[in-house]
Amino acid sequence: MRLAVLLLAAAIGPELDVQLAPAPARLSVQFEVRGDLPAEWREALEAGAPVEITYRVRVYRNRRWLWDHRLASHELMVKAQRDPLTGSFTVVSELDEEILASGQAASTDEAIRWVTHPPVAEIQVPLRHEPLWLVTRAEFLNRFKLLVIPSTVGTDWVTLAVPGSP
Amino acid sequence: MRGVARSWHRYRRQNRFLVGLYLLLLALVGCGFWLFARMRGLPPEELTNRLLTFLLWWFDLTLIGILLFILARNFVKLLLERHRGMLGSRFRTKLLLSYLALILVPTGLLFALSVSLLSQASASWFTAPVEDMARTGAALAEEVRQESEARVGRAAATVAAELARVPRDELRLGELERLHGLLGLDFTGWFRNGAAVVELLDPRQRASLRLPPLDLAALGSSGVRSERGGGTVVVRAWETLPDGTAVVVGEVLPPALITRQARLATASVAYERLKLERPTITATTVLGFGALALLVVFAAIWLGLYLSRSFTEPLLALVATTDRIAAGDTLEEVPLPAEDEVGLLVGSFNSMVRRVRTREEELRSAVRRLDTVLGAVRTGVLTIDAGRQAASGNPAAAALLAVPQLAAQEVPLEVLSEAGHSRLVDMVRGATGPVRGPLTIQPGGVSRFLEVAVVPLGAAEAPAGWVVALEDLTPLMRAQRLAAWSEVARRLAHQIKNPLTPIRLAADRLARHAERGAADLAEVVAQGSRAIGGHVQTMQEMVDAFSRYAKLPPMARRPADLGELIASVVALYQDVRPGLRIGVKEAPAEEPALVDPEQIRQVLVNLLDNAVEASPPEGAIDVTLRREAGETVIEIADQGPGLEGADSDLLFQPFYSTKGRGSGVGLALVLRIVTDHGGTVRLEPNTPRGVRAVVRLPASEGPVDRR
Repeated sequence: MRLAVLLLAAAIGPELDVQLAPAPARLSVQFEVRGDLPAEWREALEAGAPVEITYRVRVYRNRRWLWDHRLASHELMVKAQRDPLTGSFTVVSELDEEILASGQAASTDEAIRWVTHPPVAEIQVPLRHEPLWLVTRAEFLNRFKLLVIPSTVGTDWVTLAVPGSP
Repeated sequence: MRGVARSWHRYRRQNRFLVGLYLLLLALVGCGFWLFARMRGLPPEELTNRLLTFLLWWFDLTLIGILLFILARNFVKLLLERHRGMLGSRFRTKLLLSYLALILVPTGLLFALSVSLLSQASASWFTAPVEDMARTGAALAEEVRQESEARVGRAAATVAAELARVPRDELRLGELERLHGLLGLDFTGWFRNGAAVVELLDPRQRASLRLPPLDLAALGSSGVRSERGGGTVVVRAWETLPDGTAVVVGEVLPPALITRQARLATASVAYERLKLERPTITATTVLGFGALALLVVFAAIWLGLYLSRSFTEPLLALVATTDRIAAGDTLEEVPLPAEDEVGLLVGSFNSMVRRVRTREEELRSAVRRLDTVLGAVRTGVLTIDAGRQAASGNPAAAALLAVPQLAAQEVPLEVLSEAGHSRLVDMVRGATGPVRGPLTIQPGGVSRFLEVAVVPLGAAEAPAGWVVALEDLTPLMRAQRLAAWSEVARRLAHQIKNPLTPIRLAADRLARHAERGAADLAEVVAQGSRAIGGHVQTMQEMVDAFSRYAKLPPMARRPADLGELIASVVALYQDVRPGLRIGVKEAPAEEPALVDPEQIRQVLVNLLDNAVEASPPEGAIDVTLRREAGETVIEIADQGPGLEGADSDLLFQPFYSTKGRGSGVGLALVLRIVTDHGGTVRLEPNTPRGVRAVVRLPASEGPVDRR
C-alpha cells in the first residue's frame, strides 16, 4: 500500500499553481509549486550544490489556420545554494536575467519555500485585440532518456487565459 | 547570382564540396547555438556541456542521416539494377551486404560493449562508500559548526543569566569582563536599544569580527548565527535580558578548521554537482562513442562502396565492351584504367582486342584480295550458308547464272530455282560431301555446260557452309568439239582413204581388163570384187565402231559387286590363247560400287582385249581389285612391249591406234565410261615390263544389287 502511494506520488509529481493579476500593459504572475520536489534536487540543495527552478512563461495568441503565435517569452529563474560552512541558504530570483529578489534562508524548508513561492513576476504583455493565452511550467532538472535523449523534469504545462484581454 | 548558381551546379556533386558545406553548416549552427546560449548567461560548464551535447547530437544525427541516405540510395539503385537484370548488380549487392555485415556487427557489438562499460564505470563513480564518505565529511563539518553554535548559544545564555542577577550597570561591566575571560569568548557585548553599552574583543580576532552588527530588534529574543568573516566563520549568539538589554557573544572558529571544513564541503558539493551532471556526462560520452562508431561505419561503408565500385566498374566496362563486341559492334578497348588484377585482366583484354584487330585487318586484307581474285577469275564461285538457304557469289557466278544480285548480296536459293537453276540447287542441297559433276544450264535460252564442284566448308559432317565452284566449260567443249570433229574428219578421211586406194586400183584394173576384153576378166572381176568387198567391209566395221561410240547407251547405275563382275569377265578369257595366263591376283571378298555393270564390263573387256593382244605367248595378265583412299582401284597389268614412247593421253582419243588395225575406239570408250562414272583411267608402265591400266572409281558402301 505504501509502495503504491509512493508510486502514485511519483507519478503525479509536483504541480504548478499560477495566479494572474492584470495591470496596465503588464501582468503580475504569482507561481507556486505544490508537491514534493524531485528527491535528487532536494539532496543536491542540501549538499550545497547550486540548484534552480526555472519558470517558463509564454504568451500566445490563437491563430485559426496556423500554429499559435508566440507573442512573448519570459523566464523566471529561482536559484538556491546552501553554504555548507554557515548552513545558510542564498536564494536569488531573476526575471529574464534581471535580478528580481535575493535573500538568505536559514533552513532547507525555508529555502525550498522560497524557490517554490518565488516573488511576483511582472511581465509585459503586448496589447492585442484578440484573446491571449499564457502557457507556463516549472522545470527542475535536465535529464536524458535512454541515455542520450534530452528531457526536462518539471511540471506539466499550464495554460491560462490572460485576464484583461478581450 | 548567376555565377553562384553556375558554381553550385558545377560543384554540387563533388564530395569535397559536400563535406565542406556540411562542416560550414555545422560551424554556423554551432556558433549560433553558442551565441544563443551565451546570451542567456549560462555558467561556462553548463554552456560547454550543452554545446558539446548539441554538437554530438548534430554530428550523430547527420551521420545517421547520411548513412541511411547512402544505404537507401545504393540499395534502391541496386534493386532497380537487379530488377533490370544489369550485369554486376548481384555481385555488388552481395559485396555491399557483406561489407555491412562485416562493419555493423562488430561495430555494434563494440558500441554496446563500450556503453555497458561506460555505464558500469559511471555507476562505480557514485558507489555508496564514496557517497557515504562525501556526506559524512559534510555532516562532520556541519556538526562542528552546530557544536560551535551550541557552545556559543550556551555561553550567551550563561552570560545573560549572570548579568540578570547583577542589579547595577557598573557591576555588570565587571561581571561581563569576568565572564568574557572565564568563558574564553572572542567577543562579548552588552546592548541596550540596539546600541552597544560595552563590547569586549579579543585583539587577535579583531579582523575577523568586523561584521555588521546584528539587528537585534528584528531578531528574536535569543538565537545563534554563523557568518563568514575574515577568512573564517564567526558564530554569534544573542540573548535578551529581562530588562530589555541584550547580550551578544561570538566565537571565531579556527581558520585551519574552517579550511578543512571548506575542503570537505567543496568535495561534497563537487560530488553532488557531478552526481547531478552524471546523466549529461553519460549522454555526452555515449554520443561521443556513437559518433566514433558512426564515423567508423561511415568510413567503412564509404570505403566498401568505393572498393566495390572500383572493383566492379572495370569488370562491368569489360562485360559491356564484350557484349557490344558480341552484338556486332566494332572491336574496342576498355578505356577504364585499373591497376590491380582487374587491371591486368583489362590489359589482357585490350591486348587481345589489339591482336584481334590486327588479325581482323589481315583477314579483311585477305578477303579483299580474295574478292579481287574472285572478281577477276572466270570461274563462278558461290558460298552457301550452313543451312543451305541462301547464296552469294562472285561476279562470274552472277554472270554465269544470270542472277546479278548474287554479286551484291545474299539471295535465297529459291531465287536460283526460279531463275531456272533448280538442278544446281538440288545438287547443292543433296550433297553430303564433296560432289563434282557436269551441269547444263540455259540462262537466257543459251545452253552452258558447267563443271560443278560442291565442297563443304570444314567437316563434312557439320559443315559451316558450302562452296560451289562453277567452271564454264562451254567454250572449252565447243573448242574440243571442233577439235574432235576435225580429228574425226581427219581420221575418217585417213581411214576411208586407206581402203579407197585399193578400191580405186581394183576398179581401174577391172576397167582396163574390161576395155581390153581380157580373157581373165572373170577372174580379175572376181579378184577385184573380193578386194573391193573386203575394203568395204573394213569401212563398214569402221562405221559400226563409230556408231557404237556415238550411240553409247545411257548409264544405268546400280549397286554391284565389282569383285564378282571382274571374276565373271576374267573367267571368259581363260584359255583365250594357249600359254597365256589370265587371273585375279588380288581382290576383296566383296567390293560394292554404284556403277552400270554392263558398261564396266565393257571397260574390262576392252582393257583385257588390249592386254591379250599385247601379251607375249607365254605371258600373264594380272587383274587386281583393291580400295585405296576412298576409291575402288582396278588394275590390269600385262607383260607386253609396253607403251614404247606412245603418248598415253593420245591412246584414249577416238580412232587413234598404234596397232595399225582396229577402230581405235576401245580405249576412248573406256575413258568415256569411266569418266561418266566419276572416275579416272590411265596407262602406266608395268614392272618389269608391260602396261598397267589403272581404273579408279568412287567407292560405295551400299548394299549390292545381284541382279
